[in-house]
Amino acid sequence: MDFLALLFPPLLGALLAFVVRPYRAAVGWTNACLSMVSLGAAFLLAASISAGRHAPTFGPGELLRADGLSALLVVCVAAVAALALFYSPGLGGESPYDTTQLRRYQIFVNLFIFSMLLAVTANNVGVMWIAVEATTIFSAMVIPLALTKASVEASWKYILICSVGITLAFVGTVLAYFDFVALAGRRENALNWPVLLSAAPGLHPEVMRLAFVFLVVGFGTKAGIAPMHTWLPDAHSEAPSPLSAMMSGVLLAVALYAITRWKVVVDATLGPDFSNELLLLLGLFSLLVAVFSLVLQRNYKRMLAYSSIEHSGLICIGLGLGPLGVFAAFLHLVCHTAAKSMLFLLAGEVLHRYRSTELERVSGLIKVMPLTGALFMGGILAIVGLPPFGLFISEFALIRAGFAAGRPGLMAAVLVLLAVGFVALVGHSNKMLYGAAPEGITLGDVPGNWRKAPFLVSVLVLATLGLVLPAPLEVLLDQIVIVVTQ
Amino acid sequence: MVDTLFSQLTTLGSSIALLFGIVLLCRYSFHAYVEAFRWQSLVLAVLLVVVGYFGAASELYLVAAVFFALKVVFIPHYLERLAKRVGAPREIQPYVNVTTSLVVAAVLVLLAYGIMRPVVQAGQLPTRGGLPLAAGLIFVGLFVIISRKKALTQIVGFLVLENGIALLAALGAFGIPLIVELGVFLDVLMGFLVMQVFVYQIHGTFESIDVEQLNQLRH
Repeated sequence: MDFLALLFPPLLGALLAFVVRPYRAAVGWTNACLSMVSLGAAFLLAASISAGRHAPTFGPGELLRADGLSALLVVCVAAVAALALFYSPGLGGESPYDTTQLRRYQIFVNLFIFSMLLAVTANNVGVMWIAVEATTIFSAMVIPLALTKASVEASWKYILICSVGITLAFVGTVLAYFDFVALAGRRENALNWPVLLSAAPGLHPEVMRLAFVFLVVGFGTKAGIAPMHTWLPDAHSEAPSPLSAMMSGVLLAVALYAITRWKVVVDATLGPDFSNELLLLLGLFSLLVAVFSLVLQRNYKRMLAYSSIEHSGLICIGLGLGPLGVFAAFLHLVCHTAAKSMLFLLAGEVLHRYRSTELERVSGLIKVMPLTGALFMGGILAIVGLPPFGLFISEFALIRAGFAAGRPGLMAAVLVLLAVGFVALVGHSNKMLYGAAPEGITLGDVPGNWRKAPFLVSVLVLATLGLVLPAPLEVLLDQIVIVVTQ
Repeated sequence: MVDTLFSQLTTLGSSIALLFGIVLLCRYSFHAYVEAFRWQSLVLAVLLVVVGYFGAASELYLVAAVFFALKVVFIPHYLERLAKRVGAPREIQPYVNVTTSLVVAAVLVLLAYGIMRPVVQAGQLPTRGGLPLAAGLIFVGLFVIISRKKALTQIVGFLVLENGIALLAALGAFGIPLIVELGVFLDVLMGFLVMQVFVYQIHGTFESIDVEQLNQLRH
């Protein structure tokens, strides 16, 4: 039943937006409230699993299944979705889009949320793949909401590169299925995770190795792993801010979830070494590319996008470092989601006021929009890994895991790269926050400071996670570690 | 590998499909691209029926029917219509010229044989001879995408890539569970429709569908 309460609201929201012509602000508000229903269901699900309920399933042939890993991601997705829907354009107040665009936005954003939730609760490997491809298609419809040359270019690159990537992931899926069929014959539930996992020790190592390479390249494209990341800075910077928040915050997490699920199966066949090495290599490369691009940045939305690539790389590195690393990686995922979603939504406000995404055009943010500026500064401090925010703890845990896994050189490289990224991000944002305000700009925050209240929740979450790990979260993370490293 | 009629037919069918894919690299007019894709999809639909018959997998008949309807009838029709609206492109000068493209295609097929060797050796199916050809088709499709300058021809490359994967799934495991197969078709269809929307948007915003013009966003 929780599954229905989780998955149905966004579908209902899309239907509502489709039926109501022309778009009215009430539709936007209804959808935002529907997302709270989803969020409630997500919390209930996570709480029950954390309290010890064994992976509930739903649907014919156990189509949906939620264990600790799914539960954590479902909460992340639902939370960012709720945040983004509350900050959607068209919820009263002026918006740069007309009613046709707003209607399209509401339809496809809700479908996008639905497909993300489906991807992390699907028990069937094939259904997960279908849902991830659907996320590409639905989000691609919203990126060029304002038809400019830049946004059209960004969305073309996005849909082409991500579809190719996802297709390669399908090749990997087919190869794994092929091997399973060769071993166990055709079965109805052959593509369900538990079934695949139980058959995994008997699969052919060479085939699974090949399959995993395709899968990591394929899903890695959606996760923003270099060298398949080229679509990310364009798409995340040209999309409307709530969509960027969702894409950077949770879509990357969903793709990393897919990689993790497959890693479990492949590790059962090959042992953890192969997948660890591959993930470490790709993670380090992503970190390298992202950090050096951060230094060269001239556009603050692209800066945030490259920071997402950096953190995706870090999570991959964590996944490759054994149980301690997996714990750190998923804690990092939660913290990054909270911080990055807030940052992108704030960037949207900055864009609205300054009318430019160039770093050099933005200055004196603290004077022009004090509350927004303060929150933005908090977000940047969180994302570079300063205490007392959660990312400090997760990065620390990651480094510790690296040393425990016997990779001091790699961790030294990671630390150097993180330091370079730190300097770049803080340097750029200092230029944005301080200095003289540009001439002729309206001073003062957007009226209605209560609208910023959800951001305080984000900041609170980040600060809490940096000081103490709440017991339910710890239980979930422990469950995830068990699932991933059995 | 026993050279039964089944395995001979599948190898023949896969080779013809791959050939149509390589033909794409030598053609200039968009109409030729669509025709090559259409014939390739026809060959694959027939091959799906053959595999379904010999391999006793009757869902493949339904899959072949949907495949035929989608990729031989519906998608080429929409592609032609799209081309009429935005002006059928002539890929006069792709990034790589024809001779080099053919050499690259040959190397890619060899690479596919190399990569699929463990899979072929590990399998026992009579269709496993066609697996490297399917992988070759996938690589050739990828190459078509990255070496084309026009958005429309890139879409055809993507569709060829999808054909390669359908072939791989059919040969390697006699298809995949029906619900997944249908979901995949739905995704392909939706992806294609969305790409179509984009070509209109690109044409509307840039006055051309030359992807070389999509170069504003750097770094």
